[in-house]
Amino acid sequence: MIIHIIKRDGRKVPFNIEKIANAIFKAAQAKGGTDFNAAMDVAVEVCRLYEEQNPGGTPTVEEIQDLVEKTLIEKGHAKTAKAYILYRYERTRSREMKTNLMCVLNELTFSPAKDSDIKRENANIDGDTAMGTMLKYGSVSAKEYYEMYVLEPRHAKAHRDGDIHIHDLDFYTLTTTCCQIDLTKLFHNGFSTGHGYLREPNDISSYSALACIAIQSNQNDQHGGQSIPTFDYAMAEGVKKTYAARYIRNIARALSLIAGVENEDEAAKAIKSEISEKFGLMPVLANDNGYQEKELELLLNYTDKETAAKIQAFARKNAEKEADRATYQAMEALIHNLNTMNSRAGAQTPFSSINYGTDTSPEGRMVIKNVLLAQEAGLGNGETPIFPIHIFKIKDGINYNPTDPNYDLFKLACRVSAKRLFPNFSFIDAPYNLQYYKEGCPDTEIAYMGCRTRVIGNKHDPSREIVTGRGNLSFTSINLPRLAIKSDHNVGLFFDKLDEMMDLVIDQLMHRFKIQSQKRVRNFPFLMGQGIWIDSDKLSTDDTIGEVLKHGTLSVGFIGLAEALKSLIGAHHGESEEARELGIEIITAMRKRLDEESNRTGLNFSLLATPAEGLSGRFVRMDAKKYGIIEGVTDRDYYTNSFHVPVYYPISAFEKIKIEAPYHELTNAGHISYIELDGDPLENLAAFEKIVRCMKESGIGYGAINHPVDRDPCCGYTGIIGETCPCCGRKEHTNNIAFDRIRRITGYLVGTLDRFNNGKRSEEHDRVKHSI
Amino acid sequence: MELRIAGTVNDSIVDGPGIRFTIFTQGCPHNCKGCHNPQTHDFNGGTVVDTDELLAKISGNPLLDGVTFSGGEPFCQADALSFIGRQIKELGLNIVTYTGYTFEQLWKGREENGWQKLLEVTDILIDGPFILEQKNWEIHFRGSTNQRCLDCQASLREGKAVEIEL
Repeated sequence: MIIHIIKRDGRKVPFNIEKIANAIFKAAQAKGGTDFNAAMDVAVEVCRLYEEQNPGGTPTVEEIQDLVEKTLIEKGHAKTAKAYILYRYERTRSREMKTNLMCVLNELTFSPAKDSDIKRENANIDGDTAMGTMLKYGSVSAKEYYEMYVLEPRHAKAHRDGDIHIHDLDFYTLTTTCCQIDLTKLFHNGFSTGHGYLREPNDISSYSALACIAIQSNQNDQHGGQSIPTFDYAMAEGVKKTYAARYIRNIARALSLIAGVENEDEAAKAIKSEISEKFGLMPVLANDNGYQEKELELLLNYTDKETAAKIQAFARKNAEKEADRATYQAMEALIHNLNTMNSRAGAQTPFSSINYGTDTSPEGRMVIKNVLLAQEAGLGNGETPIFPIHIFKIKDGINYNPTDPNYDLFKLACRVSAKRLFPNFSFIDAPYNLQYYKEGCPDTEIAYMGCRTRVIGNKHDPSREIVTGRGNLSFTSINLPRLAIKSDHNVGLFFDKLDEMMDLVIDQLMHRFKIQSQKRVRNFPFLMGQGIWIDSDKLSTDDTIGEVLKHGTLSVGFIGLAEALKSLIGAHHGESEEARELGIEIITAMRKRLDEESNRTGLNFSLLATPAEGLSGRFVRMDAKKYGIIEGVTDRDYYTNSFHVPVYYPISAFEKIKIEAPYHELTNAGHISYIELDGDPLENLAAFEKIVRCMKESGIGYGAINHPVDRDPCCGYTGIIGETCPCCGRKEHTNNIAFDRIRRITGYLVGTLDRFNNGKRSEEHDRVKHSI
Repeated sequence: MELRIAGTVNDSIVDGPGIRFTIFTQGCPHNCKGCHNPQTHDFNGGTVVDTDELLAKISGNPLLDGVTFSGGEPFCQADALSFIGRQIKELGLNIVTYTGYTFEQLWKGREENGWQKLLEVTDILIDGPFILEQKNWEIHFRGSTNQRCLDCQASLREGKAVEIEL
């Protein structure tokens, strides 16, 4: 007797003879048959035949169907047999059409993005465009292929089941995540993009244009963010050159106008050349290198002493003014370019970030001031720029105290952020960042990449604990609430399960790393070919990159600490001291395991507070389906990001900062904390600055303040808009034009709520503002 | 002491300079047209809380620059507010009080209505009813242009409204 049958997906289920009879009867009915008993007779015969051939065996669905066809034909039911074969074929086809890939491609092709969560998986992609759709075709096909053919089955299963999430799976065999680009090194002696060579730039406008090209070119070699960690220092070189050139030009003008010199251009150039050849000096903004003294002597060949001094004063004043103006325009162009060049896989602007704030040279200060002012002014119609992400580095003695040289720029950064959400703030003085800091060495100043990634420590080569030329190789996140639910309030069991899961993820990261290591320089024409990645300049085109990749990080992330705590002990870390302690214990255990792995392998394993856009909804949907709705755990559309206190939980800004700060130290692969403000902080900059200072004093590494930034495209008003624009009195949707509402999602600004996926939409809705 | 309130808000940045704890008192006699918080008018609405409870919340937030009494009409509960007001001042925090009365009205009735005590603990007084016709979104911390930001202690010393820039 047949007891079980094996279904197509491999599941063993109880055998039911009536189902066989029903299928045969349906085929018979299609040909005019009416006798169910005849169908049952065939089914009984099929069973007998099977048992005869395989005593005590368990048949598969396919085996049974083969026997049905055979029996129908042998018993003379030719018409029914034909109908049955057709029916079987139709079922197979419809099953194949229902397979993930075809289904997804169908959805991508025919559903508008507003109805399709897959199309809105990433808020930066416009899933309604041709290139956006093509990008998604490629992405979903690659994921399916890797899951079936490349991943180890247990990794694939853990990913598919939602125990873990392998980020950027579509790029699994292709590239690494992100990089912090050293522009100073790149610009020195020029570089090539593959279609032509670019000389070392000579003016701030070329510096900014080439910065965009570098970001764009590198983005074509990687799927993650592109960051400039020392933007002010790199751009300052360009300002220096611009100032010198403008200074000489103004000397020429003044020579002509005030001293009546006729061949003024030649004269000015001759003076400059002589000083630079004899003394190696150029005119500088600070005017502290003795250039003007040498120049004064030479000017006396053309005019008297008093006039010469006048000429110099004129040139200084105008050169400074012109350099300032040129720098502003260069920064404006940079921001415009980075918001408009849709070069990432044809559908997205590069994920760009720039870090600055600590260069105290007059040129560096000019860069910082102007990039902030350009950000404040916004795009062409005053829109809030989405890229680059600006990160203002805060450091005691440089820009934090009223007596510090760049304190004025910190104040300006607060004002701009209060209007435009950027800059975010990073804190060099947090002990775990300060340990790498070497004064006068910008490469050792902590930098963050947009979404929160942090790369500085270096187990592979402790002599190079720097930010430049390095990045994350790949990261995979663990579904903490799932582990907690499965542990059923047993904390000890939870830690055991966490251990196992860490082992699995480390194994998976190594699997991916081995594939990445076999890639060659020629696979990354810019990243490796132009020496962006550390030490890649020592490799030839056909060399494998495994050795230099070891400077990168392999990161384990996590999501939903809050829900995991809620599931384990009934409270999250916003609610109880016990939960706070357990939360720290959990994350400390994860960090410890990764440190051990780093020590064992010499590779940079690190712990990431995962940015979780697509993931926040995916995990919770799967868990709600699997374990039902559990209060405070699976009862929302999203899991809380990393270690954050849930956004729906009312808590003062001070408490949130205090609770989250210790996790920044533990998550060495990156972290960010947000404070939500309601109300327009531009009206109350003192409050804004106070929160930034509180973050610094509490040991936060990277933080940002969220507040509503609305804009009426009709009158151009930017601020908070409810139903009615306070400036022109227009109601939302009058003339069919909605207000723009800029919000922050996974660290990126998004111009319209339409592009949020469902999990994120509801997360944004639930955010409790830390004020009225 | 007991206080009838409509609610409180921690970390407010819209009820005066810096970061503030705002207490919305319950009960208001003014009935301004277009009032932002009409649910605070009913003298029997809201909830009654002990001022100690509020003080605990205030002292638990080191980010605060001050406390704002809003409403409702704070001067309808001048006794309780001046009581907690003195304790708030001991914490080193400043006090902003909103009122639908003008300073001149408060000055005149300060003895007979017991308003004096609340005026004494108030640093900044934002006075005057909301007048819908004079609504303006460009002025800081106020709803209509007739409303003024006053240096309350200077006004008390001089016996007339002394305006300040916030």
